[in-house]
Amino acid sequence: MSETDIQIKKKPSFINNPRNRAIFYQLLLLIGLGYFFFSIISNTLANMEARGIKTGYSFLSSTSGFDILMTLIPYDATSSYFQTFVVGMLNTMLVSVIGIFIATILGFLMGVAYFSKNWLIRKSSVVYVETFRNIPLLLQVFFWYSAVLATLPSARDSLSVGEAIFLNIRGFYFPKVINEPLSILVYIAFAIAVVAAVCLKIWAKKRQDKTGLQFPVLYASLALLIGLPLVVTLLSGVPFQLEYPVLKGFNFKGGVTIIPELIALTLALSIYTGAFIAEAVRAGVQAVPQGQSEAARSLGLKEKKIMSLIVVPQAMRVIVPMLNSEYQSLVKNSTLATAIGYPDLFTVFVGTSLNQTGQAIEIVFMTIAVYFAFNMSISFIMNQVNKRVSHIER
Amino acid sequence: MIVFKPLAARAAPIQSTGLIGWMRLNLFSNIINSVVTLLIAGLLLMTLPDLIDWLFIKATYTGESQDVCNPDGACWVFVNAWSKQFFYGSYPLESLWRINLSLFVLFVVVAGSNFLPKNLRYPITVPALLFMPFIGLALIDGRLFGLEYVATDYWGGFSLNVLLAAASIIVSFPLSFLWVLGRQSNMPFIKTVCVILIEFFRGVPVLALFFMGSVMLPLFFAQGINIDKLIRVWIVLVLFMSGYMAEVFRGGFQAVPAGQYEAADSLGLSYWHKTLLILLPQVIKVAMPNILATFVMLFKNTTFLLIIGIFEMLATVQTALSNSNWLGGHATEGYLFVGFIFWICCFSMSMMSSSIEKKLNKSNV
Repeated sequence: MSETDIQIKKKPSFINNPRNRAIFYQLLLLIGLGYFFFSIISNTLANMEARGIKTGYSFLSSTSGFDILMTLIPYDATSSYFQTFVVGMLNTMLVSVIGIFIATILGFLMGVAYFSKNWLIRKSSVVYVETFRNIPLLLQVFFWYSAVLATLPSARDSLSVGEAIFLNIRGFYFPKVINEPLSILVYIAFAIAVVAAVCLKIWAKKRQDKTGLQFPVLYASLALLIGLPLVVTLLSGVPFQLEYPVLKGFNFKGGVTIIPELIALTLALSIYTGAFIAEAVRAGVQAVPQGQSEAARSLGLKEKKIMSLIVVPQAMRVIVPMLNSEYQSLVKNSTLATAIGYPDLFTVFVGTSLNQTGQAIEIVFMTIAVYFAFNMSISFIMNQVNKRVSHIER
Repeated sequence: MIVFKPLAARAAPIQSTGLIGWMRLNLFSNIINSVVTLLIAGLLLMTLPDLIDWLFIKATYTGESQDVCNPDGACWVFVNAWSKQFFYGSYPLESLWRINLSLFVLFVVVAGSNFLPKNLRYPITVPALLFMPFIGLALIDGRLFGLEYVATDYWGGFSLNVLLAAASIIVSFPLSFLWVLGRQSNMPFIKTVCVILIEFFRGVPVLALFFMGSVMLPLFFAQGINIDKLIRVWIVLVLFMSGYMAEVFRGGFQAVPAGQYEAADSLGLSYWHKTLLILLPQVIKVAMPNILATFVMLFKNTTFLLIIGIFEMLATVQTALSNSNWLGGHATEGYLFVGFIFWICCFSMSMMSSSIEKKLNKSNV
C-alpha cells in the first residue's frame, strides 16, 4: 500500500510533465511559424524588388484611368483607386443586400411549401431545392447570363409595359422618380407613419396583455404606411416627376437602368442560396416536436395561427444560426461577379486595379478585410436576432 | 343454434379511397388548394410539352457539325463532338487510360473499404487513401513511372474536377484534424494559431484564396523556385477545405459523449491513443453526413477554377462555345449538360449523406 502511495505522490519526470511538454510544443510551433514568416517575408520583399513592384498604399490616391459599368456614386476614369475601391464595395453591398432579401423570401416560401397539404406544391418545393442546391453556382450564373438573358430582344424590340418599363438585352429600364421641392412633405409623412406603426404595435400588445382583445396590427399599419404618404402626395399636388427611359439610337437614355450582369448575378445568388435556406427552414420546422402543433390544434387554434404563433417561432431557433452561415456564403459567393463582369469589389479591385498596379499584397489584403467586415457585421446582426429568438425558450 | 354472423364490412366511400381519395386529400382539399393545383397544372401543361419537344423530340443527336442541327430543337451534336474535351480536357488521347486508371483506383479505394473485414479497414484504407492522390497525380503526370510526360496545361475537364476535389479532401483530412485538436487543446498559443487558421480560411471568399494562390503565392517562394499552377491551386483547395472540415470535426467531437473521454482517461490511455483509437472513429461516424455535404460544396466550388484559367469542365465548355465552328449559340445545351453531370454526382452524394444521417438517428435512439 505504501509503495503505490509513494508512486502517486512522486512528481512525473521532467519530460513527462504535461506543463513542460505544453511549453515545449508551443515553443516548437513558435519557432516554426517564426521561420515560416521570416522566409516568406524576406522572399516576398526580394521578389518584389526584383520585379519592381512598389509597396505601400500610396497607389490609392493615384488616378485609376478606367471606367466602371455601373456606379452608385459619381465615378469616371480620372477618379482615384480609392474611389474604385469604394465603388466596388458599394456594388458588392448592393448585390448582397438584394440577394439576401430575395433569397430569404424565396427560401422561407419554399421551405414552408414543403409542409403544404397540396401534393403539387410539396413536390415543387422538393424539386426546387434538390435541383438548385446540387448545381454549381458559377454554372447557374453563366446559365442566367448567357443562356437566358442573352435571348432577350435587342433595344429596338424591347419587351415593354406601357412605354415606361422596358426589358431588353442591354438591361431592365424603368422610370426614375425626380423630387420636386414639396416632396419633402411626403417623406416626412412616411416617417410619421413608421413611428405611428411602431407605437400602434406597442399599444396593441399592451392592450392584448391587459384585456386579451386582439387588434389587426398588420392591416392597420399597412394602411398607415401606404395611406398617409399617399394622402399627403395627393394633397400636395403630386410633387414628383417621372423621367421615362427613351430609345435614342441603339440604346435607352434616362430613367433607371439595371444592367443584365446585376440581374443575372442576383437571380443566380438568390435562387441558389434560397434553396439552402429552404432546406434550413424545413429542418427547423421538422425540429419542432409534433406535440407542439397537436397541442395547439387541440386548443382550437387555426392552422395558419399554429404555423405563425407556435411552430415558426420555435423553428427560428434552429433556422437563424443556419441563416447566418447562408448569408455569409452569399456575400462570399458574390465574388463570382467577376466571371460575368459585374463590377463588384472583386472585379474592379482584385481584377482591374491589381492588373494595373501589380500591388497584389495590399489589394488582396484590403479586399479580404472588406469581406471579413461584411461577414462579421452579418454575424453580429444574426447573433442579436438569435438572442431574441432563443430568449423565447423557457 | 343461432350463430352470430357479422355483416361484411362496407367498403369505404369511393371519395376517400384510391386515386380519387388521394386527389381529394392532396390536390383538391379546399377551394384555395384546388385553384393552386389547377394553376400549377396549367403552367406545367403549358411549358412541359414544349420543353420535352425541344430537349428530346426535335433534338439532333449525331452529326459532324452544327449544320445538321434542327434549329427548333436542342443540338446535342455540340455536346457529342466536344465530350472528350468536357471530360478529359486536352489530355493526349492515347494516354487517357492513365486518367481512367486513376479514377478507377480512387473508386476502388473509396468503395472497397466497405467490403474489407472490419479489422483490416483502418490499416489498409487509411494509407491507401492518403497515398492515392499522390500516386494518381504521378500517374497522370507520367514522369515518375517513366511514361510520357504530360504538362498540367493539358489536364482538364470533368476528370480534373473529380480528381482535384478528391485529392484536396483526402489531404485536408489529417490537416483539419490537427487544426481541430489544436483548437480544443488547452495550450493557449497553439489554440490561437489554430483558431486564426480555421476562421481565416472559412471567412475569406474562395475566389480570393484562388487569386492569392495564383498571384501572391509565387511571391512567397525564393526566386527560381517555380511551383506549378495546379499544385498551388491544390494547396489552396486543401487549406480552404481544412477550414471547413475542422468545423465539421469540431461538431463531431462535441457529439461524442463526455463518458467516452473519461473512460479513455481512466483506462490510462495516452493522448494520442485516446484521440486516434477512441474518439476519431466515433467522430468520423457522427460527422459523416456533414463531411459529405462539405465535399459536395468543394466539388461544386472546383468550377470556380475557371476564373483563374484552369481548364476544368465549365472552362472547357466556355472554350467550346467560343470555337469558331460552333458559334450557333449552344450555351443552353452546354450548360444543361454540365449541370446534369454535376447534379447527378452531387445529388447522389446528398442522398447518401441523408441515408447515413437516418441510420445514425436510428442507432442513437
